[in-house]
Amino acid sequence: MKKILFYLSIILFSTALYSQQKHSDIKVDCSFCHSCENPTKNEPCIKDCPRHTMITVHHSPSEGPLEIKIDILKKEKDLYSPVIFSHRAHSEMSQMGGGCSMCHHYNPPGRVVACKECHDVNRQRADLRKPDLNGAYHRQCIDCHKLWSDDKGCTYCHAKNSDSGKNKITKTVPKKDRIHPEVIAPNKVVYNAKSGKNKFVTFYHNDHTNLFSLECKDCHKDESCVKCHAKEKIIKKQNKTLNQKHQLCSSCHDTAKNCNNCHMEKVTEGFNHKIKTGFDISKFHAALKCRDCHKKPKSFTGLKGTCSNCHQEFKAGTFDHRKAKLVLDEIHAEIDCSDCHTNANYQKPTCENCHDDKSFPANLPGKKIK
Amino acid sequence: MATQGRRDFLKSLSAIGISTIGVAGITPSITKASPENILSKDRMGVLVDTTVCIGCRKCEWACKNAHDMPSGSIDDYENESVFDNKRRPDYSALTVVNKYQNDKTGSPINVKVQCMHCDQPACVSACIVGAFSKKENGSVVWDESKCIGCRYCMVACPFQIPSFDYHKALEPEIRKCDFCFDRTAEGKLPACIEICPVEAITYGRREDLVQVAQEKIKNYPERYNNHILGETEVGGTSWMYMAGVDFKNLDFPTLGDKSAPGVSESIQHGIFSYFVPPVALYALLGGVMWISKNRDKKEEN
Amino acid sequence: MEMLMNPSQMTKKYFTPGVMLVSLIALNGLIFLALRLIFGVGAITNLDNQHPWGIWIGIDVAAGVALAAGGFTTAALGHIMHREEYEVVIRPALLTALLGYTFVALSVAIDLGRWYSIWHPLIFWNGNSVLFEVGICVMIYVSVLYIEFLPIVTKKFIGNVRFKGMLAKLNSPVDKLLRMLDRGLDKTMFIFIIAGVVLSCLHQSSLGTLMVIAGPKMHPLWQTPILPLLFLISAICVGFPMVIMESLIASRSFKLKPEMHVLSKLGSYIGPMLGIYLAFKVIDILIREAFVYLMVLSTESVMFSIEIIFGIILPMRLFFSKVVRESPLGIFIASMLVILGVVLNRLNNFIVAYNPPYATTSYFPSIGEISVTLGFVCIEVLMYRLIVKYFPIISIPEKAGVFKTKYSIQGSK
Repeated sequence: MKKILFYLSIILFSTALYSQQKHSDIKVDCSFCHSCENPTKNEPCIKDCPRHTMITVHHSPSEGPLEIKIDILKKEKDLYSPVIFSHRAHSEMSQMGGGCSMCHHYNPPGRVVACKECHDVNRQRADLRKPDLNGAYHRQCIDCHKLWSDDKGCTYCHAKNSDSGKNKITKTVPKKDRIHPEVIAPNKVVYNAKSGKNKFVTFYHNDHTNLFSLECKDCHKDESCVKCHAKEKIIKKQNKTLNQKHQLCSSCHDTAKNCNNCHMEKVTEGFNHKIKTGFDISKFHAALKCRDCHKKPKSFTGLKGTCSNCHQEFKAGTFDHRKAKLVLDEIHAEIDCSDCHTNANYQKPTCENCHDDKSFPANLPGKKIK
Repeated sequence: MATQGRRDFLKSLSAIGISTIGVAGITPSITKASPENILSKDRMGVLVDTTVCIGCRKCEWACKNAHDMPSGSIDDYENESVFDNKRRPDYSALTVVNKYQNDKTGSPINVKVQCMHCDQPACVSACIVGAFSKKENGSVVWDESKCIGCRYCMVACPFQIPSFDYHKALEPEIRKCDFCFDRTAEGKLPACIEICPVEAITYGRREDLVQVAQEKIKNYPERYNNHILGETEVGGTSWMYMAGVDFKNLDFPTLGDKSAPGVSESIQHGIFSYFVPPVALYALLGGVMWISKNRDKKEEN
Repeated sequence: MEMLMNPSQMTKKYFTPGVMLVSLIALNGLIFLALRLIFGVGAITNLDNQHPWGIWIGIDVAAGVALAAGGFTTAALGHIMHREEYEVVIRPALLTALLGYTFVALSVAIDLGRWYSIWHPLIFWNGNSVLFEVGICVMIYVSVLYIEFLPIVTKKFIGNVRFKGMLAKLNSPVDKLLRMLDRGLDKTMFIFIIAGVVLSCLHQSSLGTLMVIAGPKMHPLWQTPILPLLFLISAICVGFPMVIMESLIASRSFKLKPEMHVLSKLGSYIGPMLGIYLAFKVIDILIREAFVYLMVLSTESVMFSIEIIFGIILPMRLFFSKVVRESPLGIFIASMLVILGVVLNRLNNFIVAYNPPYATTSYFPSIGEISVTLGFVCIEVLMYRLIVKYFPIISIPEKAGVFKTKYSIQGSK
């Protein structure tokens, strides 16, 4: 009887969840959720919660609680006190991995289900197919924690309930502001393709994050802690296909053609707009994002290196030389642009047209400002 | 005189025959005197998932506490140096956890060792005084009041589980996991089951557990080896194991599906089937004796 | 029949230098025995959780029972087959069996963790247990042996009950009791004799069944379902050699002429018996295909080969030779080979073949275990010597008979 009630409740629970979304919107095989071929409203024959990643919806970490005191299992004579779980910090970290579904493996559309909604509080229970709540909590934590730390000690997360105050361990439990320390990212990684003439791919991580403004999670998806914290763990070299090897790059770069864009004969310098295009962006355009100028999607070409290309307002007589961080003195303010900037070169002026011995920048035509 | 003697002889012989048949008649009561060996459909079991166990050894601590054995501080159980050697249960610990290298994934495999609580236990069959019995809830328990300390159970056990307190002159005990018989009788869980933080050991009806294990193997074929140790080994055990590697690598003995005491019991019952063979031998020898006596008599005459 | 039957009390001095030495070894054993009783089994033995049984079971009990087989084999030959010419050896064999089984029981007792509970099998029964069957059979058989021996005691004291002082009044009732006992035993002795043979067959074979339950823990060279049969046949094989060996030693020790005419005839049965034993062993190995283990050099294969070659094949060849059978030295050596072969077989079955799965060390008996085992053997020898001094056991050849042996069936005369 208890069992029947249990299943009934699961069925009701699941239908309630799915009623929020139309079946036609769900992009999974029917048999993923239903055990029979033709489920009806009365006989939905919904499978028991599988520990597969279910249909997931993305929630941002800020939607979840800051921290949770997990005291649902608290009993009178516990060895350890309840864990204060920094949910926000963990959900933020999860963004580099599988997101919410890293822990909330049953993540139906619309909402995120808490552990206790499926996992039984009692260890003596009818359905043994999924662990009880205590087991589920610990597995969820320890499965990751043991990967990057060999410290399985209870006091890593729990404070100990000791009888005497003297022995009481007052280890600080994870705080809400305790988040992952800053990741020291590599500057440059050289990949050796080991075949062909152009073996080397020089990958500048800082260019991608700083220059191209990529977020960590834009590239680091489905990663676990062990990717970095592989203490003494043997990670077997997998035999990846060519496509798999290029997968990370090909989301931005066209890796099918133009191999030589990345594959070079030698280790190369990082991206330098001046070297690559002749247009120095380090002086006045450093704060700009690539797309601020390169507006054409999927392309970074076609821009001329002249100011008027973007700055249509820069015209003789109207240009405020202050923008170049130099206030021209009275004499120079009056003369024509081309007197100094010959051949439309606005990078460096020529003084020789008027002066014999004066030269720029030793003798400035005005006052430098900040 | 000779006839008289012969008659006497025959009389005595038949008397013995009758009395032996009498003994044969009471065999059922002897069988009753044998220890319990109940195989209930609802017997309980445990599924040990070695891929889940984290080797925290809390079960060892809880076990000792539940059996009034010196357990020490719980903090000492976090010391991993015990894993340097492979340990076996003994008089000071009824269950131990051993750690094995895992070449497949790199993270170590922890294996809890204790009595398997066989469905056809060799110890129950072997024990001279029937001090072991298989209870209705699946546990195999030892009765201190009967035991004589002969250690035949240790010879018989296919998993080499029962241990003996060799350094006690009086009342040395055979010690092994008793599936927390007293605790379960009160409706509590076995101590190790209760404390396990990750529920690597699932307690439930054996039938259900076999199903759970089969489902796990089906759903996660890359995680589990397709072998539930104890499902059929030595006729089935209450405690069953799952692992991602071959059980040979985890120091489990390779055992067949025949019950451990099967051969010896069939030999035993063959020799003693309703006392027919001994009685027949007795009759045969009696006959030979009578004939040779007569032959001698005749020769003398 | 003017039988060569005249069992007499030995009159030689009890203590000789040899006896003194034997006493010393016995004393040494008793000291270790005391240590075991005070500090527990673990204090003086090398036994552990992986090796629960050592030489106290393998040699003292298993080999002890086998070597005491002389009692039932001679009883079967002398009484059941009614070959009266062998009656000279029945009494010594009976005494050996009696002492042998008594010490088997003692050895079991000291090996038991709870030795004071040795009586438990009498009230707690387990019909499935091979050990229970062995235990009960041995208990009954020991009683039967004592009953078989009783007439020798009653005959000695009938008409000789002479208590002194206060107890003098008891003289006549005790004498009456003894006479009654003697008469009763005379009439019913055949029951016990047959029972003794049946019981022996049962527990000799069951002793083999003991190790069957160890299953794969036992080396395939020995682990076989026909172990009980092999044990029974080997026990029957070793019965006569034991009688021969004892008789020759006793003759030498008490300066009597060896009873070669009887011993040679006994010896003629041993060859064929060993042949049957060998045949069973070889066929068993072949059928189970266990012979592959003989191809590799290991302790097991070496021990098995020694057991077969020196314990069965060599003595079998010797016993088939008439020259050997009729020479005291030859028959002695051949008998010793059989005896040692069977002892080795028991040792192999119980210790060498037993390979527990988690053993980190292998078992070798400790000084304490060896001392107690040797001590028990020596005490047995000393008691044998003592008993033959006070009771008519050993026959002095070629003299007029004193009285006939006790187990003739009086009712049929």
